[in-house]
Amino acid sequence: MAVSKGTEKYTIPVGPIHPALKEPIRLDLGIDGEEIVDVDVIVGQVHRGIEWLGMNRNNAIQNIYLAERVCGICNICHPFAYVMAVEQAAGITPPERAEYIRVITAEMERIHSHLLWAGIAAHEIGFDTVFYLVWRVREEIMDLIEYVTGNRVTKAMFQIGGVRRDITEEQFPRIRKSLDYYKSIFNQLKTVFLDDRTIRMRTKNVGILETEDALKLLVVGPTARASGVPKDVRQDQAYSAYADLDIKAITPDVLTGAVIGDVYDRIIVRLLEVKQSIEIIERCLAEMPPGSILAEPKIAKLLNALKKTEGEGVGRAEAPRGEVIHYVRLEAGRETLAIWKIRAPTYTNLMAIPIILKGGQIADVPIAFASIDPCMSCTNRVVVVDQKRNKKSLLTNKDLHELSIEKTRKLKC
Amino acid sequence: MEILSPEKIIGSFKAALGGDFIDSKIYQKEVAVKKNIFTSIWIHVKREAFRKAVEHICELQNCPHLSIISSSDRGNDVELIYHFTIYYGHHLQELSLGLRVNVPKNDLKIPTITDIIPGALFTERETQEMMGMEVVGIPDNRRLFLPDDFPEGIYPWRKDETGPEDLLRVLPGRQQKWQ
Amino acid sequence: MSLKAFKRALWVYHLNTGSCNGCDIEILAVLTPRYDVERFGIVLVGSPRHADVLLVTGPVSRQMAPRLKRVYEQVPDPKVVLQVGSCGMEGGVFYESYNLVGPVDQIIPVDVYVPGCPPRPEAIIEAVVKAWVKLERAAEQRIA
Repeated sequence: MAVSKGTEKYTIPVGPIHPALKEPIRLDLGIDGEEIVDVDVIVGQVHRGIEWLGMNRNNAIQNIYLAERVCGICNICHPFAYVMAVEQAAGITPPERAEYIRVITAEMERIHSHLLWAGIAAHEIGFDTVFYLVWRVREEIMDLIEYVTGNRVTKAMFQIGGVRRDITEEQFPRIRKSLDYYKSIFNQLKTVFLDDRTIRMRTKNVGILETEDALKLLVVGPTARASGVPKDVRQDQAYSAYADLDIKAITPDVLTGAVIGDVYDRIIVRLLEVKQSIEIIERCLAEMPPGSILAEPKIAKLLNALKKTEGEGVGRAEAPRGEVIHYVRLEAGRETLAIWKIRAPTYTNLMAIPIILKGGQIADVPIAFASIDPCMSCTNRVVVVDQKRNKKSLLTNKDLHELSIEKTRKLKC
Repeated sequence: MEILSPEKIIGSFKAALGGDFIDSKIYQKEVAVKKNIFTSIWIHVKREAFRKAVEHICELQNCPHLSIISSSDRGNDVELIYHFTIYYGHHLQELSLGLRVNVPKNDLKIPTITDIIPGALFTERETQEMMGMEVVGIPDNRRLFLPDDFPEGIYPWRKDETGPEDLLRVLPGRQQKWQ
Repeated sequence: MSLKAFKRALWVYHLNTGSCNGCDIEILAVLTPRYDVERFGIVLVGSPRHADVLLVTGPVSRQMAPRLKRVYEQVPDPKVVLQVGSCGMEGGVFYESYNLVGPVDQIIPVDVYVPGCPPRPEAIIEAVVKAWVKLERAAEQRIA
């Protein structure tokens, strides 16, 4: 949707930069007074040509490490979906113990990602204290991830046909200790986010996405679940060890009894999913089957087998932000992949942004945009087009942020 | 909306499309300890019946979920696969449905489905710019991921002479491009 | 190490030229209570004109290259450029892709390189210290 041409506006390309991290994106807003009437989303600043590299330069095993670096935050789900797609194409079945270890690492990543998001959301409203508190709490799960996998961010746990490292019985008490810590502070986290008067005022009835729109625009992940659409790949499709645990998609009426689809509902869904992840990890530790962790431990043999196979496969996984899908086709005699197609969840959630931002105020843009948990984030400067007065003005991210904090102060008095 | 078995779904496609239905495949696999089944269906149709096939999927499931459109360059034609999923929201009942369409390279056109499924806009735009496919009737014709000064006529997903090989930047210190 | 030229702490401006966010979240982790570089007064600022240090992450994609140059020119002297992550050095895993215009030091001069994919927060803190020493020396030579 482009800004209407009748008012003769043109937009200046905006820088990518947001002091609080994340990827570049450009938003063009059309406004009428204080209210936003039109939004245009322009992407593409982070295009690195990963699919082309995978099809023309790397062999199938090197692509696992390339897939990891699609996103540094959802670092397990891309190799997860990729490895499942290749196993489907080549007819390899990973052992059961490997499936459970995969699920444990995926759920640990979900906890870390949701806590990261909670801190950023608090920062956008102006609550820097909560931002620092939540990121301090998040360090506990980062320590656990480093203990289990060896690194904080890029974990390199996956291999075609299994996982690379085992989680032994001696490591279980340490994992349980961290989970107990999170269980003990969970109620505190809930009180800080859900019972605070100011957070309620800033997030209730802001950035609403109705159920009908969520269905038509193919929204995925917590953004869809907060609007009442119970889409969750862990619940719906049998993949990996999730098929043994009965996962239920969390919608906000579990806590409040009603579904509105605003930013407050998205906070509820993500906090409750942290609790769900803790329970899933505990169940996996209790029910972990014995056995080997790799279907084919010798890499040279695996590579040779992959060179000779012919087939195609689709791998879908549930990332912290939604559904991730990888499509892979292997051709006999070809070392690189024939076809590789990746789709990350923010790709579809971005199409809901015009509806979420429309009708709202400019000061609500940071929190409403951050509430879909974009893995490519808010712009530095947003060009604001005042349609009534036919004026153009440039708001830096600092201005947007200050507008947002001003609104909090006004609401507090 | 009732949940049909994979064979019944394929039967309903054959009935709806008649002669334009080319081929189908069911893939099933047991997963993890309890051996639940992961199912996916692949259906191959002719380009003329493509929109009818999409409308038929909408009859099987209200607002089906379209994950992505993948495209592959196979020399003389381009194969598009529309990855749908139906029956989401029901525990362990979701089916992946891959709809395959072949488009000849000298006539790279495919009708849009954004009037049936508005959420297909981004993925159609990407297919247009990366493969050189023309999506007839698309509401927004702009590029999605490639920058505006990316040269026209170069399509990154193609394997023929229009691929981006000339745009690779050779690092300083290396003598030649890798093959 | 005495601080003659700089009476106040360093202000850092962070620029993402298309990275995967791994280095960016480690940079944010440096500011939070565990590694806590804010006790030295180092803060992230919202505008390049207020900054002393330019922190660049990511391989430079085609769209971001002119912006990188423009931001570099906006940071006032004396300044230090810190380049975090392996992708800005030689491309990392994305080397020689069709949408990348080369390592960061082909576009702007870089003072400190921090390798890693992503580097640990401790490595980033050491890099900031090295940058500080370099900046001190540069300012002294200009004053003296």
